[in-house]
Amino acid sequence: MRPPVYLDYAATTPVRPEVLEAMLPYLTAQTFGNPSSSHRFGRAARAGVEQARRQVADAVGAEPNQVVFTSGGTEADNLGIVGAALAARERGGSMCAVVSAIEHKAVLAAAHAVCHLGGSEVLLPVDAGGRLDLDALDAALAADPAVVSVMWVNNETGVLQPVGEIAARCREAGVIFHTDAVQALGKVPVSVAELSCTLLTLSGHKIGAPKGIGALIVRDRKAIEAIIHGGGQQFGIRPGTENVAGAVGLGRAAQLAAGEQSSLAERLCALRNELATRLKAAVADLVVNAETSARAPHLLSVAVPGADSEALLMHLDLAGIAASSGSACSTGAVEPSHVLVAMGVPRELALGAIRFSLGRESTPEDIDRAVEVVPAAVAKVRALAGVLGRAGGQADGRTGE
Amino acid sequence: MSPRVLVAMSGGVDSSVAAARLVEQGYDVVGATMKLFCYGDDVPDRPCCSLDSINDARDVAHTIGIPHYVLNLEDRFNLHVIQNFVSEYSRGRTPIPCVRCNSFTKFRDLLAHADALGCDYIATGHYAVARDGGLYRGLDPNKDQSYFLWGIDRQVVARMLTPVGELSKSETRDYARRLGLTTAEKEESVEICFVPNDDYASVLERHLPADAPALTPGPLVTTTGEVIGEHRGFARYTIGQRKGLPGGSAAARYVVAIRPENREVVVGSAEDLAGLGLRLDEVNWLAPSLEPGDRCEVQIRYRARAVSATVLERHDDSLTLALANPVRAITPGQSGVLYGPGGRVLGGGVIG
Repeated sequence: MRPPVYLDYAATTPVRPEVLEAMLPYLTAQTFGNPSSSHRFGRAARAGVEQARRQVADAVGAEPNQVVFTSGGTEADNLGIVGAALAARERGGSMCAVVSAIEHKAVLAAAHAVCHLGGSEVLLPVDAGGRLDLDALDAALAADPAVVSVMWVNNETGVLQPVGEIAARCREAGVIFHTDAVQALGKVPVSVAELSCTLLTLSGHKIGAPKGIGALIVRDRKAIEAIIHGGGQQFGIRPGTENVAGAVGLGRAAQLAAGEQSSLAERLCALRNELATRLKAAVADLVVNAETSARAPHLLSVAVPGADSEALLMHLDLAGIAASSGSACSTGAVEPSHVLVAMGVPRELALGAIRFSLGRESTPEDIDRAVEVVPAAVAKVRALAGVLGRAGGQADGRTGE
Repeated sequence: MSPRVLVAMSGGVDSSVAAARLVEQGYDVVGATMKLFCYGDDVPDRPCCSLDSINDARDVAHTIGIPHYVLNLEDRFNLHVIQNFVSEYSRGRTPIPCVRCNSFTKFRDLLAHADALGCDYIATGHYAVARDGGLYRGLDPNKDQSYFLWGIDRQVVARMLTPVGELSKSETRDYARRLGLTTAEKEESVEICFVPNDDYASVLERHLPADAPALTPGPLVTTTGEVIGEHRGFARYTIGQRKGLPGGSAAARYVVAIRPENREVVVGSAEDLAGLGLRLDEVNWLAPSLEPGDRCEVQIRYRARAVSATVLERHDDSLTLALANPVRAITPGQSGVLYGPGGRVLGGGVIG
């Protein structure tokens, strides 16, 4: 059997050899110290963390002392949103989180958690192209919320959000702006020096660092309160002994990602467009979601009318193609993607949505294989839908009723 | 290329071992867990169908080196199994949802998936034996589950594999232990998967309006028509039930009939419970059909012993049988399963 083709790099990526090499000393006897210790072991580990801070800062145009390491993107999103809401409460401000309807679950759930803490949430709509409705933002800003959070790149459709415009409006209104840049780093230019956001989320495992490390860029420490409590590490914003090796890995991966961004983007964009063109040619009624919007180069969201995406993914997997139906969830959920629903994609179409995502290791051969496999899988799954019916088909003769 | 099998993995030990044995026998095995219902977060962890079970199945699949998928059949299961369950109780009957699930969900809807995946066979962890196009009792008399399988389409039997049907439960567990499967020591699930805490009335309450006749109080009457009290809704009773009836009579009292048309629950003596004949509806054959005068054995509930019977009449999909000996508590809605020599399942039907 031919080796399987991985087209799910937006879910996660393999650790890059350069990253692993940078991390190894910090996992072994060489530099295992606790960075808070004052002795030489501690100092050596501290040096690794500080080096990583500089690398991450450089990669996104921030200052090293603005980098707060977290356990990943989800924690960084929670720290940004819940932390900003708590800080607002402290100041006597309104504890309201304003987020777009197409955010990652980490942001949506964090905004929801703000409600449980006694605050409120506002969901901002997007247009049919998957872009934030700026008028709705203006209306929300008028109520002086604690924080606005809009992602840089949508993780399903790849649509670039107007973060520059959002940041400017938030700044004018004096409202903290958080952006989840997990799918942006390494794929589009990311610079907090140019974008006037207060908070920005990064994740390691999307760019060749391991799972379990991420960062929140905090450009104003008064903007957030800690959400976990401990020994005062990382400016007290995120206490707990630092994940030294993870931070080192994130630092190296961010450095590499920023350096390679433009060449990678060019290559992936060509591959992605080729995949889209050939899939549309092979499956007549296949729809590319948000096709006319400006999109990050590594993401391709398609919808296949009359196909069930979970069944389609199963058939693709058996045929050696790993893709996804959106954010990773493997428990057979049949709810359509909240992102596509927010864009007004009909439920029937959204239930047949598949996300292909490319990464550094993607090759033209991967595209060939996908184009070879997808049409047959679509045909089988459509035939199956004909037998089973979609979303509660009719009972057949032997129901006894 | 080896024949491909889709094996339904519930996350329990039986289907885990079924999958493992198929791998050992050289089949190209694909594992699937059916997600059949979802009541949200407020239902305590279930031995079957919960996320933990999906994870267990996935873990076993990984251990034995096969792909595993979750197939969402909630809509289909609701349509064919849960709705029927509710409507049967509303009609004063006592349904067996597992029979419906096998007939409609596992061996039809899952089979459609198997077909789409190019699978030659479909396998489950049932204790029953599919052999040469015929279905037989499982070898372990304490575990035999052939009773629940009479309703599957006859042509499907030829495509069924029953890898644990010839094992005893302890052999199954030993096998799982030997392979180090996480499910080796998992408790048996004996409840109906979508009924939390064995409280089927709560399911009815959720699906029926509050004033549904089946759930509202009505008269408790004797076989001679004397009203002796009030019951709490006839759907809460089943034929043969002794618990929850008013005492005060010399002999033990049982529910002997339910009359939904006037909401009566009828109580009587042990003798009133005995029956010498029955009618089966929705009859399905897994062997050449029987004709009037033919003899077979019939089993009228899961744990009952099969008794000798003679076919009196056969119409389209109904069958009338005379029993050689009286049988206790013949209950409408339960299954009557017909067995022939060698424990072969000849067919079955729903008791009318």
